[in-house]
Amino acid sequence: MNTALKTTTLSHEQKVKLFTNLVRGNHYDKMMYRRMMQGKLIGFYHPAEGGVAPGVGACSFLNQDDNLNPHHRGHGIIHMISKGVDVRTFLAEHTGKDTGCCKGRSAWHFSYPEHKVYQQSGFIGHNFAPTVGWGWAAKRRGKGQVVMNCSGDGSYGEGRAHESLLMAQNWKLPVIFFCENNSMAIFASAEEMHPLPDISSLAQGFGMPAMVVDGQDVFAVAEAALVAIDRARRGEGPTFVECKTQRFKEHDIGTPDLRGWEERSDEEHQQMRNREPVTLATEKVLADDVLTQLQIEDIHEAALREIEEVEAFADNSEIANPTEEELMAAVFAD
Amino acid sequence: MRTLTLIDAIKEAYQEELRRDDDVFMVGQDIRGGIFPHTKGLVEEFGSDRILDTPIAESGMYGVALGAAQEGMRPIVDFMFGGFSYVTFSECSVTTGQYHFLHGSQRALPITMTAGVGTGQRLANDHAMSIHGTFAHHPGIKVAMPSTPYDAKGMFKAAIRDNNPVMIPWHMGIMMLKGEVPEEDYVVPLGVADIKREGTDVTVLANSLQLQNALKVADKLHGEGISCEVIDPRSFVPFDLETVLRSLEKTNRLVVVDEDWESGSFANTVSAKVMEQGFDLLDAPVTRVTLPDMPVPGGYMEDYIAPNVNKIEAAIRSVLARIAA
Repeated sequence: MNTALKTTTLSHEQKVKLFTNLVRGNHYDKMMYRRMMQGKLIGFYHPAEGGVAPGVGACSFLNQDDNLNPHHRGHGIIHMISKGVDVRTFLAEHTGKDTGCCKGRSAWHFSYPEHKVYQQSGFIGHNFAPTVGWGWAAKRRGKGQVVMNCSGDGSYGEGRAHESLLMAQNWKLPVIFFCENNSMAIFASAEEMHPLPDISSLAQGFGMPAMVVDGQDVFAVAEAALVAIDRARRGEGPTFVECKTQRFKEHDIGTPDLRGWEERSDEEHQQMRNREPVTLATEKVLADDVLTQLQIEDIHEAALREIEEVEAFADNSEIANPTEEELMAAVFAD
Repeated sequence: MRTLTLIDAIKEAYQEELRRDDDVFMVGQDIRGGIFPHTKGLVEEFGSDRILDTPIAESGMYGVALGAAQEGMRPIVDFMFGGFSYVTFSECSVTTGQYHFLHGSQRALPITMTAGVGTGQRLANDHAMSIHGTFAHHPGIKVAMPSTPYDAKGMFKAAIRDNNPVMIPWHMGIMMLKGEVPEEDYVVPLGVADIKREGTDVTVLANSLQLQNALKVADKLHGEGISCEVIDPRSFVPFDLETVLRSLEKTNRLVVVDEDWESGSFANTVSAKVMEQGFDLLDAPVTRVTLPDMPVPGGYMEDYIAPNVNKIEAAIRSVLARIAA
């Protein structure tokens, strides 16, 4: 961690919230995976398993009027539930239903303007350009809003990322460049695609403070995120937070699980799974007397019940079935 | 009435809208210094926060507009030259055009985009290309281009007030064209064509510099007893086909002048629509005057290939030479 940056200590309530959101996020990701395999999800799904801690740490303490660009892995569901978005209409959207947040038109390009989650783009790295605009608008308003800009190591190959870093630092915008580095972009290894081991090295060239944290440790992630959020709220400008995380599954369901052009090894999988984020967090909350085993079981049960309701909402909704004329009338706003 | 150049008429539209609405602001590169005169001096009245210069980073620059529009503001983006918009095309065309529709009509993007376009400066392809046809091809963006100073002020004001993204380039070849411009507030609605000259023998659809060229040809042919009706589409999206079809009821002949490459052009769209919806009105095939399918050459060669008064005159004579069946 950059020594110039402050540190923070999490309260008991913050730890419980993080653990709860981590459990919820993990169950949500597994539900999405299961539904894709059951043919109950439209399009594709990019599983988040193994990499669920960064989104929880980044988003659990955002306000409703803070901007969020969720990482595409998990299709943003972990980030959004952590921020407090009711994702019933997200799953309905992802199943093509008329109750979907985008009226069933978008497949997975969800948007929740009331939570300042404006878009999911089909272009990797297309979070970086509007991030400048969100940051600029937040700074102009001067109400202490921040922009949590989450994306993966692969997205930092885009020139847009570099433009965004440049302009955010130039104008001291309240942006957190939150890089979830799982070392994989589809098949491509970050080691091969980036010249330095830390993506956050980029920040140095712009004079932007940066932190590298263990992305498997939700508490460590949250501590770093809170420091960055606090800097942004106080008008001190952008911070780069890089989380070293994992991706247990293939890129999206159905693609082979390669690194480069070769199958990822059993050893790599074993090493990854030794650092499964929910297991690590469970050990920690038990060891630190944050939660009891019974409370932990309750948290799991509540998460599963919540997800059942979300699925029921989607399943009980009708397939969106507008006429071509109705769709044509929606191309332009009044 | 007072006269202004086209470029000053555009500037007056900016000034009035910036004064009227605090959410309106401009973003571009070197717009404070006035790289083209439509932004010159604006910073003195409105400050660097509303006349915003960015680094040479088109995606980031457009991102200011995109993000701010999602936040409810009304940005005007100046790309300087039209070709530069392609540097951030996925944002300014694809993402922007799909935004309102795909995201369930939850939020509109009131972004105005502009840039200088067109032949005449001998600057070659990337500095001379037209962009209206390309933007018109991508659904969800309104596209318009003014041909007179009067229209320039009214159409730019309409674009800025529109809740949708609007691409409204201006042609460098008529930048200094003078015309009457009222001092008061008015808008020229997007999607309404304008009959710039009434006639009975042939309809010429042309815009911007080529509209001015078509008017010159119409003047010349008038001396020979040939009566040209010259229509300015003003907007490409939405396109006012009705006005063209009504004109064809009279003239039965159509020449479309479009300073864009032949393939995939607005001229082709008009030709197809007229064929489908006005076939019985035609006494001759729709004839197009466009740029040939080659990169626009620089230097003097530009003069050989760009639409001009001679090519427009030849096209008019060719459709008139056809005998009605």
